[in-house]
Amino acid sequence: MKKERRKQRRRRRRSKIVVPVASMGDIAFLLIIFFMICSNFAKEAGIPVEPPRSPDLDRVKQTTTVVSVDADGQIYFQGHRIHNAKAVETEVAELLKTATTADARNVLFRCDRKVAKDIFEPVMDAITRGGGTIVAVGDKAGGT
Amino acid sequence: MPARSRRRRTGCDDIPVASFSDIAFLLIIFFILATTLVKTQGFYTDFPSGEKSEKPPEKTTTVVLHSDKIVLNDDEVDMPNLRTKLKALKLDRKTGDAKVVMMEAPGKVEYQRYFEVMAAITEAGGTICIVREEGGGR
Repeated sequence: MKKERRKQRRRRRRSKIVVPVASMGDIAFLLIIFFMICSNFAKEAGIPVEPPRSPDLDRVKQTTTVVSVDADGQIYFQGHRIHNAKAVETEVAELLKTATTADARNVLFRCDRKVAKDIFEPVMDAITRGGGTIVAVGDKAGGT
Repeated sequence: MPARSRRRRTGCDDIPVASFSDIAFLLIIFFILATTLVKTQGFYTDFPSGEKSEKPPEKTTTVVLHSDKIVLNDDEVDMPNLRTKLKALKLDRKTGDAKVVMMEAPGKVEYQRYFEVMAAITEAGGTICIVREEGGGR
C-alpha cells in the first residue's frame, strides 16, 4: 500500500507543468490590431520645422488637422505642399465642414521660428477664416 | 501507387502556426520601440475674424511688435516686462472687449518673437486681435 502511494507521488512529481500557450498568438495579434487602430500617424513628419520657444506654453491636445510652414516659407496642409494662404482657407473650410465639436475645429499650426510675418500671418488668417481655431505649437523654454 | 496517393491525401496538411505568436510579439515590440509619444506644447488662439472698423474700441490694450522692440500701450518694454505687465492687467478676469489685446507688427518680424508675444497674451488671459496693414496680402 505504502509502496503504491510512494510510486504515485513520484509520478506526480515527475509530471510536467504545462503552461497553456495556445492563445498567446491570438492575444498578440489582438494587441497589434489594437495598436494599429489607435495609432495616429504623424502627417507632418519629414517637414523640417524648427519650432519657436516660449515659457508660456501648456500641453495641448494632438489634433488631426495640421498646417505647417517650413524655413523656406513653403506651406503644407496635412503634409502636402500647397501654393498659397488662400488654398489653406479652402482646405480648412472643406475639412471642417463635418466638424461638430469645438475640439474638431482645432488646427495645429507649426511654423519655423525664422519665417517672416509676411508669410505666416496670411496663413494664420486663412485658418481663422476657414473656421479653425489655431493651436500654435512650440517648444517650452525657460524664462527669457 | 494508388495506395501512396491516398496516403498523401489523408496526411496531415496543417499550416505550421507555432511561430505565429513569436512573429506577432516581435511586431508588437517593433511598434512599441518605433512609436514616439508626442507631447505637443503650445496655446490655443481663436482670433476674432472681422472687418476693418473705423473707430477702434476705447481703452484697448495694444501691443506693437517691432523687430527690435515691443511697445505696450505706448511704453517700450522687453519680453519679461511684457509678461509682468500683461499679468498685472488681469485680463483673465475681464469679459468681452476688455479682454481684447490688439497686436500689431509693422515691418518684418520673425515668427519667434511673434509667437512669444502671442503666448504671453494668451497666458495672461487675453484674446488676441491682429491688426493688419492695408494691402497685407489677405
